[in-house]
Amino acid sequence: MYALCLRLTGDAGAAEERTQDVFVRAWDKLRSFRGESLFSSWLHRLAVNVVMNERRTTIRREQRVTPVADPEVLERGKGEPSVGLSIDLERAIAALPEGAREVFVLYDIEGYSHGEIAELTGIAEGTSKAQLFRARHLLREKLNR
Amino acid sequence: MNERELLEAVGRLPKSIEPPRDLWPGIEARLRRSRRWYWVPLVAAAAIAAVLIGRGREGYQMTWLAGAGTGMLRVGEWVETDDSSRVVIAVGHIGQVEVRPDTRIRLVVARSDEHRLALAYGAIEAKVDTIPRLFFVETPVGTAIDLGCAYTLEMDSLGNGLLHVTAGEVEFQGTGGEVRVPMGALVVTRAGAGPGIPYVEDASDALRRALATVDVRAILAAARPDDAISLWHLLRRVEPSQRGAVYDRLASLVPPPPGVTRDAAVALETAALDAYWTHIHRILFRKVMLRGVRDIDPRTGTRAR
Repeated sequence: MYALCLRLTGDAGAAEERTQDVFVRAWDKLRSFRGESLFSSWLHRLAVNVVMNERRTTIRREQRVTPVADPEVLERGKGEPSVGLSIDLERAIAALPEGAREVFVLYDIEGYSHGEIAELTGIAEGTSKAQLFRARHLLREKLNR
Repeated sequence: MNERELLEAVGRLPKSIEPPRDLWPGIEARLRRSRRWYWVPLVAAAAIAAVLIGRGREGYQMTWLAGAGTGMLRVGEWVETDDSSRVVIAVGHIGQVEVRPDTRIRLVVARSDEHRLALAYGAIEAKVDTIPRLFFVETPVGTAIDLGCAYTLEMDSLGNGLLHVTAGEVEFQGTGGEVRVPMGALVVTRAGAGPGIPYVEDASDALRRALATVDVRAILAAARPDDAISLWHLLRRVEPSQRGAVYDRLASLVPPPPGVTRDAAVALETAALDAYWTHIHRILFRKVMLRGVRDIDPRTGTRAR
């Protein structure tokens, strides 16, 4: 849950808040779990909804978006010799523009379809595809430097 | 780096990242704060819905599986499946009940403020999404009361059966008393005796055998921290002279939350038992939620070390 929230928000503090939100919401909404999917899938989708709803609320409140990357938190606990690229990639993902980051995390990391992303985030499917293209382009550009 | 290399790198990203601190204390504090007001909007919504919708529903839509068509199940009517047929009953707007083969069930009440079926024998799978205590299933040995959940219930005509809760929580009120069965737990019912003592899905055979005969000494010996729901129920079942031993074993496996004293629990004071239950239930809830992701200490609900 924390990994998902961290990648979607790009901010360690916000990720902690959203992770807590997810568990509180899960407790409250447990009644609505109807066993039609894996519990982990239900929880995962709930987490995405929590992050997206908070984002919409924040946008409405502030009418601006201020993504804050905290690469330090992404480096903790990684000691394997092959993780250098992962750290760079995590940093690069965290530094993506918000819309592109969300689509990239949901599509390329979490495996959602563009249709599902459109439903979850309230954007058009075409926008989701465009954001994904943009995100991949920006990541390749950043990692090739 | 080309796109293929990028996607390969994405595939190697860690599935899990540890937060910099334990987030559970904050979650628990928020749950505790929210608990007081939890039911207010739900009850208000239910009251408004009852006024708006009225008492109009007199039956449920039924869909026979395997192409046998649809129909209405009216209040007072029975539906019976043979050894190869199944039917799905839409329970108003709050959920559905799948009636499995060789089952006989009757619609007793179909109102917006109460949905009640009576299972004569057989097996059903219920999935309900509403506020607690709106959906009831009567059986020969008691009533399953939905607290917002999904469960299977199978029983013979005498009342020998099994309730298995797969989401949420079910309360079963029977001749032998009332039990609470949370997600991931089961309870056996016996003719003439009502519900037994609930146990978790991975309870040992030794514990299950001991619970079946309410062999207190064997139960205490076989219980693990994961079996706290069984000991909590046992506390209310045993003779007063045995409660102290049951409480001590329970407290040694899952320490009670602040405010719950031995004296209050042994005296079966409602506030103490409810607080202890909420504590145990939350640990189980967290364990089930994080199964396969993180090992949870069944004594505390925190991360296992």
